[in-house]
Amino acid sequence: MLITALFFVSCRESEEPVNISLDQRHEITFRPQLPAITYAYLPQYSHTESFQRHNRLVEYLSEQTGLPMRQVFPDTFDNYISMFGQGKIDISFSNPFIYVKLANRYGARAMARIVEADGRAEFRGQIIARKDNQEIQSIEDCRGKSWVAVDPSSAGGYLFPLGHFVDHGFTLTDFREVVFAGGRQENVILGVYAGLHDIGSIREGSLSVVKDKIDINQIKVVDSSIWYPGWVYAHSPRLSQEVVDKIRDAMLKLDYEHNPEHRQILDAAKFIGFVPSDDRDFDQVRALSKKVGLDLE
Amino acid sequence: MHRLRFRTKITLGMTFMLVFCGLGVGLILSAMSSSALLEEGRKRGMALTSGLAFRLAEPILAMDFLQMKNLIDNVNNQYDDIIYIFLTDTSANILSHTFSGGFPTDLLHVNGEGEKPQPVLLATERGLVYDFNVRVSLGKKNLGSVRLGLSRKDIDAQIRRQRLTSLFSTFGVVGLGIILALWFSRTVTFRLNRLRKSVEEIVQGNLDVQAGFSLEKYCWEIMECDRKECPAYGDVQRRCWYLAGTMCPNCCDKEYPFKMENCRQCPVFKHNFGDELQDLAEAFDAMAVTVKNHIEELTEREKTIARQQGLLKTILSVTPDFITLQDKNLTYTFAGKAFCDYFNLDEESIVGKTDADIFTEQQAEINTRENKEILATGLPMAKEITFKRAKEQKWFHVVKVPVYDQDGSIMGLLLTGRDISMLKKFQEQLIQSQKMEDLGRLAGGVAHEINTPLGIILGYTQLMMDDIEDEEILEGMRIIEKQTKVCRKIVADLLGFSRNSQAISETVDINESIQQVIKLVEHAFFMNRIKIIHALDEGIPPLTGDQERLKQVWLNLLNNAADVIGQDGEIHVQSKLNADEGRLIVSIADTGKGIAAEHLGKIFDPFFTTKQVGKGTGLGLSVSFGIIKDHGGKIFAVSPPPEEYLPKDFSKRENFGPGAVFVVELPLADGRKNEDSKDRKGEEEKAEEVSLFS
Repeated sequence: MLITALFFVSCRESEEPVNISLDQRHEITFRPQLPAITYAYLPQYSHTESFQRHNRLVEYLSEQTGLPMRQVFPDTFDNYISMFGQGKIDISFSNPFIYVKLANRYGARAMARIVEADGRAEFRGQIIARKDNQEIQSIEDCRGKSWVAVDPSSAGGYLFPLGHFVDHGFTLTDFREVVFAGGRQENVILGVYAGLHDIGSIREGSLSVVKDKIDINQIKVVDSSIWYPGWVYAHSPRLSQEVVDKIRDAMLKLDYEHNPEHRQILDAAKFIGFVPSDDRDFDQVRALSKKVGLDLE
Repeated sequence: MHRLRFRTKITLGMTFMLVFCGLGVGLILSAMSSSALLEEGRKRGMALTSGLAFRLAEPILAMDFLQMKNLIDNVNNQYDDIIYIFLTDTSANILSHTFSGGFPTDLLHVNGEGEKPQPVLLATERGLVYDFNVRVSLGKKNLGSVRLGLSRKDIDAQIRRQRLTSLFSTFGVVGLGIILALWFSRTVTFRLNRLRKSVEEIVQGNLDVQAGFSLEKYCWEIMECDRKECPAYGDVQRRCWYLAGTMCPNCCDKEYPFKMENCRQCPVFKHNFGDELQDLAEAFDAMAVTVKNHIEELTEREKTIARQQGLLKTILSVTPDFITLQDKNLTYTFAGKAFCDYFNLDEESIVGKTDADIFTEQQAEINTRENKEILATGLPMAKEITFKRAKEQKWFHVVKVPVYDQDGSIMGLLLTGRDISMLKKFQEQLIQSQKMEDLGRLAGGVAHEINTPLGIILGYTQLMMDDIEDEEILEGMRIIEKQTKVCRKIVADLLGFSRNSQAISETVDINESIQQVIKLVEHAFFMNRIKIIHALDEGIPPLTGDQERLKQVWLNLLNNAADVIGQDGEIHVQSKLNADEGRLIVSIADTGKGIAAEHLGKIFDPFFTTKQVGKGTGLGLSVSFGIIKDHGGKIFAVSPPPEEYLPKDFSKRENFGPGAVFVVELPLADGRKNEDSKDRKGEEEKAEEVSLFS
């Protein structure tokens, strides 16, 4: 027993420390990153989520085009827009309103639209409420209610539903309040789910994002807006057409159906493919902006 | 070691064991807990670093340096033992750190990317530091790594505290263990010591010991039994299963240990059975009691044997017979006291010796030859031998018999020798008496023949004296007359002595016969100033006898008394009735010169006299003896006379001699019947006295 004990004791001290000095200090400088095409995803979710959705796609595009490519993470829509304006974003993946804004302000050019899981390259907004809220059965019942929207510049999460409300004769003053949830679809759903707000406006498809967090059966869709062109990839006017074409080609080359690797990439990004697009596809949006008094300049 | 006491050994043994075990367990536990504490510290550091890495993913993605700085500073400030935190990107660019005044670049050279296991122990100026490197990653994508330096000071302090606690706990437990060991050893050795003391007591001979302890409940209490005849009832020293013949219904009729099979099922056994030590102590007690009982029995037997031995020894010592025992080699194994005394030897100096060592060569040769013959033939031998000593000659009747052992073979020789010198003497006396009787008969015949001529001589002498006037012749005649009368008296005495069957049977008043005789001699005695004082018992009844002959006895005795006194003296005559014994006693005591002790046995022999020649014939007392004997009585003399034969107011004067008394005992006429039924003592006394004086 004593031998065992001594064995135990002796074993413990087997860690040999590495001698270093903490007092020998040197000033260090940040080595600048290598130039690369920057790719940004309009902040919809946390950076982590954004990263996990688009990291593979970015890597794929980089690989396919042979161009260095890096994802950047703007914090807010404004930050996004300003970064685009500053040239810190070369490839923008945004909703149509932001795209129109970028196009108008900084000459952004649409290059492709995504095909959503439902097979459409268009999307719409949804007006949601708690299923047990008997007061709200139709869009008309939304009058005088508390409305939580994603962001004033959110397409599916605000503008499309707003256009829909306008089409039904609503103005913003018809609501008891209109609250924005900081640009996060999840916050809108959670706000409605928690009963903080009577109605919420989200982009169609967002409910599935939170299905692991809440019981989405408790949420009902009161009404949906008309279809608008979906999320769009645009490029900075500073990119050469050659680079743009390479990137577009790489995008269009992705085959969700037949290529498992592509499927993985697209599954992560939560869409199933690309269709070519140009600026004309967004005139409908421009019309909506006028309708709702949105300044996209 | 072997000199240590058992208690010390147990205590030391257990102490050593406890110290070893305690030290061992303490060290193991200490090592384990130290290891656990270190592991805990490492896990904590790892958790902190991992948490930080998780939270740093977003700031890294966003390249939000402020948030990075805030996060690492926050964690750094939260815990005192965190020395540093820094964050690098995938290109090993330091994105943020907690150092101020430059960065210790040494850190970049250790615990690089992918080093396993984490953490790496660093020895720095601030002591030992665990350096944790955790990658910041999203999915498979590596964003950078977080490095966290955790001081081991706190952990080491905690380990030291824990070790100290372990040490004190171990000492505490060991100390407690030692106290328990002491108590345990005391408990065990107390009982062992008790057992040892019991053994010592037994060795010293005290069997009344109790090594076992008293019980809470005894068998009769457990079984609620009141059978007091049961051997276990009331026996507080022995357990009932050690006893035979216990009377419980479950008890089989067996002895320990054969009854144990039944006893193990018994509630008494289950209640009172102890551990091995108690079992041993109780068995020991049972043994002691059993041994004590055995020893008591043996002692009792020994006493009996000793008593018998004493008796035998007394008998062998007291017996006047010679007793010796010789073995097959004719060596003496025992010699009685009489034998030893006679040959003036100790028993010790005889035992182990042979005849050759004790007797003369000639005697030894004779003895050896006889003894060997007896041993060879097995036939006993009897003979009479005599030893001549300077003073006397002794006769012995010797019997030698062979002694057989249990096998029937001769193992020795027993000699008994009885002193028959007295018997020989009596035989001689008997022969003498026979001769005297023949002589008396002869003398009677002769006396009768002589009596007639003597009468003629006396008659003619007296006739002639009437005619003779010559004084000278007359004087001569008177002498003839006188001497003839003397002769006639001798002849008359001889006749009286030899005449045995002429007794006249008549009623005799003893007192009257005595008084008649006193009157006859009183005057003559008075002339010599001899006084006769008589005290006669008036209650004496008449008896049957020959008065004249009895008077002759009294006269003889009174004359003898007067003769020994000579002049100036007293004669005390008493008669007493002893109705209980059916006899009367007549004593005649004088104040004369007494009788020498050696003469006492001979005075009644015929012709024995101490008187001058011519004064006595030596027949008076013989005749008196014969008369009294004819009357069924006895006569004996004692000198000097005991007080009972003298008057109460008797005062001895100067001219008195030691004196003697003659006592005559006569049976009463009506007491004769009772005489047969008298106790044997009387008979023996008479026989003894007769034999003494016959």
